[in-house]
Formats: sequence, C-alpha cells, structure tokens
Amino acid sequence: MMQAYLENKNEGRNIGLLVTLLMFGFTLIGALVALMVLLWWMPLGEYENILLDDFNAYEVIVIIAGVIYAVCCARTTFGLLRREQSSLRWSQWMFFIALIIGGAILLSVIIPVGLKFALLLGQNIDLRTQITEEVGGLVPTVLSIGEGLISISVLVLVLIALLALFVFIIPPLESLRRMEGIRLIVAPPRRLIQAILLVFALGIICVLIAGIYAVPLHLDKTKIRIAEDHRILAGLIFFLPAFFGYRQVRQMREESDELRRAVALTPGKFIRAELAKSPSAGAIIGFIAIFMTFTMATDLFLEPSSIASYLSNVATKGVIAIGVTYLMISGEFDLSVGSVLGVAALSFMLFMTEGAPVLGVLDPIPAALLAIFVAMVLGAVNGVLLITTRIPSFIVTLGTLLAYRAITLVAIAGGRILRYRDYHAEFPVFVISNIVFVALAVIGLALVAFTAYRVLPVLLQGAGRAWSIRRENGDFGTSGAIIRFAVFLVILLILLAIVLWLVAVFGYHIGGELVEVGYFDLFNGRVSYIGSEGDFFHLEIPRDANVRLAILWWFIFVAIFHIILTSTSFGNSIFAAGGNEGAARAQGVNVDRVKVQNFVIVAGLTGIAAIYETARNPGVDPLKGQGWELEVIAMTVIGGALLTGGYGSVVGSLLGALIFGMLQTGLVLVGIESRLFSGTVGVIIIAAVVLNTFVRGAQRN
Amino acid sequence: MEYKQKNPDALVDMIDIHKYFGSVQVLRGIDFHVDRQEIVGLLGDNGAGKSTLIKVLTGFHTLTRGQIFFDGDGVDIASPHDARELGIETVHQDLALVPLMSIARNFWLGQEPTYKVGPFHFMDKKLMASESIHALADVGIHIRDPEETVGTMSGGERQSIAIGRAVYFGKKLLILDEPTSALSVGETQKVLDYTIAAKEKGMSVIFITHNIRHVYEVADRFTIIERGHKLGDFYKSEVTENEVADMIVTGQIPERLRLYEEVAVGD
Repeated sequence: MMQAYLENKNEGRNIGLLVTLLMFGFTLIGALVALMVLLWWMPLGEYENILLDDFNAYEVIVIIAGVIYAVCCARTTFGLLRREQSSLRWSQWMFFIALIIGGAILLSVIIPVGLKFALLLGQNIDLRTQITEEVGGLVPTVLSIGEGLISISVLVLVLIALLALFVFIIPPLESLRRMEGIRLIVAPPRRLIQAILLVFALGIICVLIAGIYAVPLHLDKTKIRIAEDHRILAGLIFFLPAFFGYRQVRQMREESDELRRAVALTPGKFIRAELAKSPSAGAIIGFIAIFMTFTMATDLFLEPSSIASYLSNVATKGVIAIGVTYLMISGEFDLSVGSVLGVAALSFMLFMTEGAPVLGVLDPIPAALLAIFVAMVLGAVNGVLLITTRIPSFIVTLGTLLAYRAITLVAIAGGRILRYRDYHAEFPVFVISNIVFVALAVIGLALVAFTAYRVLPVLLQGAGRAWSIRRENGDFGTSGAIIRFAVFLVILLILLAIVLWLVAVFGYHIGGELVEVGYFDLFNGRVSYIGSEGDFFHLEIPRDANVRLAILWWFIFVAIFHIILTSTSFGNSIFAAGGNEGAARAQGVNVDRVKVQNFVIVAGLTGIAAIYETARNPGVDPLKGQGWELEVIAMTVIGGALLTGGYGSVVGSLLGALIFGMLQTGLVLVGIESRLFSGTVGVIIIAAVVLNTFVRGAQRN
Repeated sequence: MEYKQKNPDALVDMIDIHKYFGSVQVLRGIDFHVDRQEIVGLLGDNGAGKSTLIKVLTGFHTLTRGQIFFDGDGVDIASPHDARELGIETVHQDLALVPLMSIARNFWLGQEPTYKVGPFHFMDKKLMASESIHALADVGIHIRDPEETVGTMSGGERQSIAIGRAVYFGKKLLILDEPTSALSVGETQKVLDYTIAAKEKGMSVIFITHNIRHVYEVADRFTIIERGHKLGDFYKSEVTENEVADMIVTGQIPERLRLYEEVAVGD
C-alpha cells in the first residue's frame, strides 16, 4: 500500500495520508515533550525540594532527544508528502523508536503490577492487616481480602487464556498462512482473530488498571515501584499508532540497486545484523531484558548504591570468567579455579605475614606477583596433566579441585582465619608523587588520540562514500557507515572528556605533591571521592555506594582480553583449537601449547582475583573460593560460550557476570526472597543457552 | 643404510618405506614417487596402507625403515609441522576447516598476517578478508562474504576453500585424502576442477581414494597399493578405468599389463 502511495497511485492514497498524519502527530508529541520539560511543566526524576532552578541529567537528555526526534519526524513527514522513496525507511525508524518508548512506558506498569500479583500469589498475604500496618493504624477502605482474591483469579484466567491463545490459535494460523493455495473450510477469518486479540489486549489493560488499584501499593517490605494508571494511557498513545504505522511501512520493496541496499539500514535489518555478528547475542538480549525488568520494577535499581553493589559483587568473579571463557573456547574446562583462588589468596597473605620460603616477609606488590605466579604454576600443572594423560579436563580439574583445596586446608590448621591485622598494626601504604597520576592520564590521552588517528580516517572515508552515494540518488535515507562514524565520534569525545577531566583533577595539584596510597586500596579499594574537597572537579560518591576499584580493573582486563581474542593470531588459534582440533593441528597450530597457555591464563586471572578478594577483606580462611568454579562457569555459559568449544566472547562473559550480579541485587531489591536466587539463576542459565542456540540457528539461515 | 634417489627429478621420492606398528607390518617396502606438476591417484582397498603411507609423508607417523626425498634432498619428517614447512599441504575430509570460524580466519589459520603497534602484533583483518576473496577467486572459487562461517557451507565448498588455501600459500604438494567420498556429483566435479587448477598453478597432487571414477578423470598416473606392497604404477594412457578398478578389488595385475610392470621394475 505504502509503495503505491509513494508511486502516486490512487489505491494507496488513504493509508499513505494516514501514515503521514501519524508521523506529523509524532513530530508534535516529540516537540511537546521537549517543550514541557523545558518549561518545567513536567519535572523528571526525583527532586528533594521543588525548587526548579536547574535541569537534572534526565531532563537534559529528554529535551535533546525530544528535539532531535521531532526534527527527524518533521523531515520524514516532509519526505512522505514529497513521496520520497527513502521516507519509508525513515518512517520505520521513527515508528520503531515510538514503539520502544511506548512499550517501555507500558512495561513500567505491567512489570510492577505483575510482580506484585506474583508476590501475592506466593505469599498468601492478609491484605487488610498489611495496609493497616503500613499507614500506621488508619484503616483504608480500599480493599478487602475477597477483592484481592478476585483480581488474582482474574489474572490467572487471563494467563490461562493467553496460554491457550498461543498454543491453539497462533500456530495453526501460521501454518495456514504457509499453506497458500490450500483452502481449509474451517480457517478462521482474519478479522475474527484480530477481534479476539483486541479483546485480550483490552482485558490485559483492564487487569492492569485493576491491579494498580486492587493490589496494595506498599506491599509488605517490597520496594516495587508504584504503578500509575496514567502511564497506561501515555504508553498507548505512543504504542498503538506506532504499531499501526510500523506495520504499514514494514513491507519495503527490495531495492534493485545492490549498492543502495548495502547503504540502506532499517531497524529490523540493523538488529538482525548486529545480533548475527555477536557470539553473545543471547547474553545481550538477556541483559537488556533483565535490566529493563528490574529498572521498571523498582526505583532503587538505578540508584548508584545498587549499581555499585552488583558491579562490586561480580567484579572479581568476572575477572576469572574472562579466563574461563578463553579455556572454554579452546574446548577445555576448569573446575579448579575456586581452589586455585584459595591457594593464591593464602600465598599472598602468607608472603606478607609469615614470609615466603627464601625471600622472607614481602611487600604487597612482590607478594601479589609471587602469589599470581603460584596460581599460574597450578594452572600449568592442570594443563600439562591434561596434555600428557589425555584424560578429559573435567576429570583432571575435578582432581585438582580437591587436591589444591587440600593445600589451604593443611596450611591453615584448625579452620583458623589468617588475618593481616594479627601481624601488622597498619595496612601497608606507599607514597607517590601526584605527577605520576597526571602522567597516567596523559598516557590515556595519547591512547585515545592514537585510536582516533587509526580509526577515524577509515570511518570518515566510509561515511563520505555513503554520503556521496546518497547525494547522487537524491536520497535522504541514513546509512550504517554514517551512523558508525557518528557513534565512534561520540564515544571518542566522551573518552576525551573523561581523560581531560582526570588530567584536570590530578593536575590541580601539580607540583610534585606527595600522595599516600594504600596498597590494598590500589588493588581493590573503596572509591569514595575523586579529587579533594573544595576542588572544582570534586566528585563525591554516595556513602552507601560500595564502588570498588576492582570494577575498573575488571573492565580493563575485559578490554585487553577481548582484543587479544579477536584481533591476534593467538586468539585465532584458541578458536581453532576448540572448534576443530584436527584442522588446527593440520594448519600448524600448536594445540597443546595453546591449551596449556589457556590454563595458565585462567589460573593467572584467578590469582589476580584472589589479590582483589584479599585486599577487600585482608583475611584468608581455608575454604576461600569454594563454590566459585560453578558460578564462574555459569557466567561464561550465560555469556554465550559453547561448552563444546570454538565459540564465545569475552564481552559475553562480562554480560553473563552482569546478569548474575543484577539478579543477585535485583531480587533483593524487589523483595523476592534471596532463597530463590539460585533457582532463578538456574532458570536463567537454561533460558540463556536455549536463546543462544536459537540465535545461532538463526544466524545459520 | 644409505638410500639413493630412484627418480632424481621427482618432487617426492619415497624409497623402501617400511612401517611396523609393533608386530603388525603395515607397509613392507613401498617405493612411491610424485613428479612435478603431476596428479597421482593413490588407490587401494580399505586397509591397504595408503593412509599410513601418507601419514608417514605428512609426519603423523615416523618411518620404521626407508628414506624420503623431497625436492631432491633427503628429509626427515618427524612432525606435521615439518611437513608443512616443506610445503606439503593435506586436505582431509573433515579436518580441513574449523566450522565455527569465518572463511577469512580459516584461510589464514596458523599464518595470520599481522601488523605491529609498538611491541604488539595484531591480525590484519582487513587484509585477511580482501586477500582471501582474491586468492579463492584465482582458483575459480567465488565466495559471497569472507566473514561467513564455514559451518554454513556445503562439504564441497569447504574442500574447495581448503584447496584454494593450499594453492595460495604456494605449497608444492597437495594431498587430498578421500576428498569426494561424501560429495554430490556436482560438487565432486567442482573439486576435480580445482584440483586441475592447482596443478596448473604448479603444484603436484596426491589424490587418495578408493573410488576410481572420481580420480580417473584428473589423474596422470595411478599407484595401487595392496596389503602393504605396491602393486604397480600405471600411466593413464596404459590402463583403462575398468582395469584399475579390477586391480584394486582383486589385487592382481592383468595379463596385458605385466609387461609394463616388468619394464618399470627393471628401470
């Protein structure tokens, strides 16, 4: 239809004008939202006092985004009126964005209400007493237990109906569509099915509204967000027209010109291409889904303290997960990381307190290096055992898991905890000139500049080519090359700003001022502020936010090991060793060496993690690290690594670890019992692997 | 014991090759040679010893007795790596490529081009992509996208890429181990075409199979092995397809050909 409209044919006229009108409507909405925020009619975020003398970050983002969206929509409306071919693609993007905004607003109602229903079902709460306690003696007349039960039963019925819908109606419909030509007498007319769907949608909305009022707002001790009914309206205003519009413009004629097709980028193609490129597609989807769920479910999830909490909780495990990913890609498996962590932590602590065999009591940094070396030796033992005996790594590392654990059990007799404070009165510190930090920041600046120098011209060239192609075609459609260039430029500017900021923070005191740094703080200290009090660049981190330096180290390790894996020949040989050992050998890859190296890498990273853990809490007990191996493997598997080898990514392990951490923190925040944590993780692992397999299957086709 | 090269011009000359596994004598004094730019069909029934002979040549097995000459020099091939260094490339039925890796990465596996940034070496991915397209196009293999994973391709396409890779890296000897046994007719024909392309680029080829139909078309010469012994060497002009097939099955040289054989031995 839209194609007909663009070709100025009569039949597509009504639909085309309707879509144009919708697009104009979204122009107005975008402009209106920006204007409302700009004039303080619609304050966003939380204000402690209503002195609206400044915009906060949310508002600035919404104003800028609203204006950009309105401008783009206006241009698209213009394009539709002039019947430009590429306006179809632009309409897709604009409707797609509106769909996401509307969906997100609706989800911010659906998820809290759904969670509250789920909690009610699970807890069998006496609603009246809950409310009474909450408001301190006043008995509100909102609800009786009976009403609560009714709304629950309505929900159950709706869920059953939905299930029935998916099981019985949608699949036959699909198969009917595929069997074109065969006319079945009982084929349900399309209109009927659409009507049923509409009724169900309305039903869900009714239940949502009922849920908002029927379920007590402050349920038990949960911190689930209070759902507001006007969000349903706001969400639908975005969602329904966008849904209609997107369906109309989705059918695009395949452009004949190969070149133009390469430049053309629609939301569907873009997402599919991005997911197909990434081994961690399942993890990306899972990450977004879980992040959205918790963000929608509770306001607390985006608090700095929560973010810091889930990052800090998984940072050390995430470091190990990088190594485990390497090993898993090369087709092997390590169960002994928990025990290696114990031994490394023990050695680190022993070297600083009782002293190393020949060297005596060591300073923290030599002690750390030696402890990491000890861990690497243990890893090398794993690897050498594997390649000499040729028994599966599962068995080898199961054995060493138990054997290495014996080291800590024997060394620390009687289950005692070896504490740093029992030997030294103070934690170790060193004194360093401020200039060192400035120098580090300058090196960072140089790295950013170098990256820009390498990458920017290439991207610019590509963008320029895409631009000229569009010019020739008289087309205003967007293209991947230009977007890539823009995204890279933005990232570069952000990096530059961060580095310049660091230079400014530390350079403020230039003059060789001496700074006292705790060794343990350097490894995994708690970051409470950057820049001293009273500086222009002073940044205070909230008291309850447990930001640990290990988070920074973790991200740095992820970046380094990601580059090694994807951009060096060593990385290539890891993939080959796991993907097809015989082929790798035939091509002259020394598979045995690669595998031993990977065992050493895992153990080395585990040693580093052990240093972080010990620095965070300077004491070692004999069971330190027990049970970590399975958690780390869970993170890796969620991140998309194949247990059979040959596939996976470091970024995936990062996402896997984040999913793990978000679940740990988020479940507590929404008030779901922490006893359910391991059960949830179990479900997530299986779901993630199914998703990964599914996405990989889709990539094949 | 000193061995002398019997065919001084040959690329590969294997003389008096013995290989025992414990008390099992798999190869009992085989002489085998490959001339330059020649396609040799190495034939024999299952268990005749053709795989063992090739594994000796490619360094997977070490010799019990005998001597290998490569390019006129006596060589000691102790590992697959040694064979690779000499320029011997083997394309196995299922061991050729890594299915989960892209074409470009497979193509360059083990010898990735790198560029240096300070002390670090990075793979030159752009060069890998563009060169693999050109190199494969040179032998007539046209691929859509070098980033495509090999797992999505058919058996014939994989074999072709492995052959193209061997040609590109200037190998002297290409060993095709049962390359066509799982391929369709059309794909088999393609692999045979690429084999001829490899020969035209200056390579010698050993084509191992027990299916004479596939190899008869492209091979210049046939070496037939029977229970650890060499039954004989026959140029294509000397024998018919059916005679070769009979020899593989019966292990007997037909009356008509005995004369050629004696002449060859007396040489």
